Amino acid sequence: MLVSFNYHNRNSLIEKIDPRARWIYSVLILFAVTLFWDIRFLLFFLALNMGQYFLARLTWKETRRAWGFIFFIMGMMVLVNTLITSAGTIREVMQGGHPLIAFSIPIFGRSLDFTLTIERLWFALAQVVRILAISALFLVIPFTMDPRQYGAVFRGLGLPDRLAYSLDLAFRFVPTLGRDFQMTLDAQRARGYEVEKLEGGLFAQIRKMAPLVVPVTINAILSGEDIANALDLRCFGLRRRTWIEQLKYRRQDYLVIGLGALLLIASIVLKILGYGDFWLPPALIS
Amino acid sequence: MEKKSLWAFGTREVVYSAIGAALYAVLSVATNFLQIPAAANVSIRPAVAIPMFFGVAFGPWVGLLTGLVGNVISDLISGYGFWPWWDLGNGLMGFIPGLIYLSIKNFRSGGDILKAEIMVVVGAAVGMFVASLSEIWVSGIDFATSMATNFTPAFVSNIVNGLILVPILMVAYAAVQGRSGR
Repeated sequence: MLVSFNYHNRNSLIEKIDPRARWIYSVLILFAVTLFWDIRFLLFFLALNMGQYFLARLTWKETRRAWGFIFFIMGMMVLVNTLITSAGTIREVMQGGHPLIAFSIPIFGRSLDFTLTIERLWFALAQVVRILAISALFLVIPFTMDPRQYGAVFRGLGLPDRLAYSLDLAFRFVPTLGRDFQMTLDAQRARGYEVEKLEGGLFAQIRKMAPLVVPVTINAILSGEDIANALDLRCFGLRRRTWIEQLKYRRQDYLVIGLGALLLIASIVLKILGYGDFWLPPALIS
Repeated sequence: MEKKSLWAFGTREVVYSAIGAALYAVLSVATNFLQIPAAANVSIRPAVAIPMFFGVAFGPWVGLLTGLVGNVISDLISGYGFWPWWDLGNGLMGFIPGLIYLSIKNFRSGGDILKAEIMVVVGAAVGMFVASLSEIWVSGIDFATSMATNFTPAFVSNIVNGLILVPILMVAYAAVQGRSGR
């Protein structure tokens, strides 16, 4: 069937760390990275996050889809930002600078001036490093965290019982609903519904998805009534819930959280001291 | 029948959030595989109607969790990594239509469907706007770029799907609503 999770046990070092500690670490690092525009600091974080990526023992085959997606989105954003709207989020990049390429295109009697400065190009490079660093940080999570643990993990992070259980239940429903979808698709095909050849305009095509979407949704809602009744009968939500998967912090988990906190605090201190803003190698403009 | 409350999160809400999220994930992944060619570079992701409809039918929390968790799971399955700010945007897309949950009396009536449709547009606008804004913070692009490359494509494709499929789901739900006895 087409629905399956990407997680399998890789026996990597990363998986020996408590998932809660990894979430906390990842969020701390995200905030640390977003403080900087200096490519030297960003390269440090890229190296750090790629280190985590390689420690997770991910293969290219597994992650190439994600990387392709990241590069596509990043390429679009950076290209449009650098070339067309020609502005960064930082003022000094937008104004002035040393022109690298400059020309004007005559359009309808007016001329459209276009200038690409060295600063802007360097800013685009910093942007690429920054986006890659953040992507590498979060890319690892789905491949190395057991979907069965999400409920317990988020309960451990302080989410209310009901929310955590809802999360847990969602992961459990995925294979069932995947099967239901396949059955509906087959049943509709047997009736002559051709999903491969949806004709008409955009609107007509979407409307023709209804014979697939509606039966699956309504069936799921009806079975939801039964599940809600079953849970109520077992007095769901009256007491604190216990989980089969027990999570315990160990020394290495505290170390990981400590590392994240240390890096964030160091980043904030550096920022306050005035480091980490946009930096252009002096050699480029002299 | 007990009185409905907008912010309650009881057993029913727990179950429907989970079902909605799983449904959103499965339908997103499944329709990705079908690879329907679309006009004007708008990818067809009919599944976005699910969080909107679950919001309208079961309230704001269910809508929020359906969008948020559903997007997390669908990204997990298709191997796209983890994008917290887009997950939040998808959650808002279900949360905002959920705000009119109490005022929907009859899922078949034109007026109620129109109300839902308006909230679908507002929800998609706010949700995708928040996600695009966080892209400014994370990726350091400027406002215009974020609107052009992140907001507009996502917003257009989401409202087109939502506007068409949410009423269909509402009418279908009206037919089974009586059966469930609630």
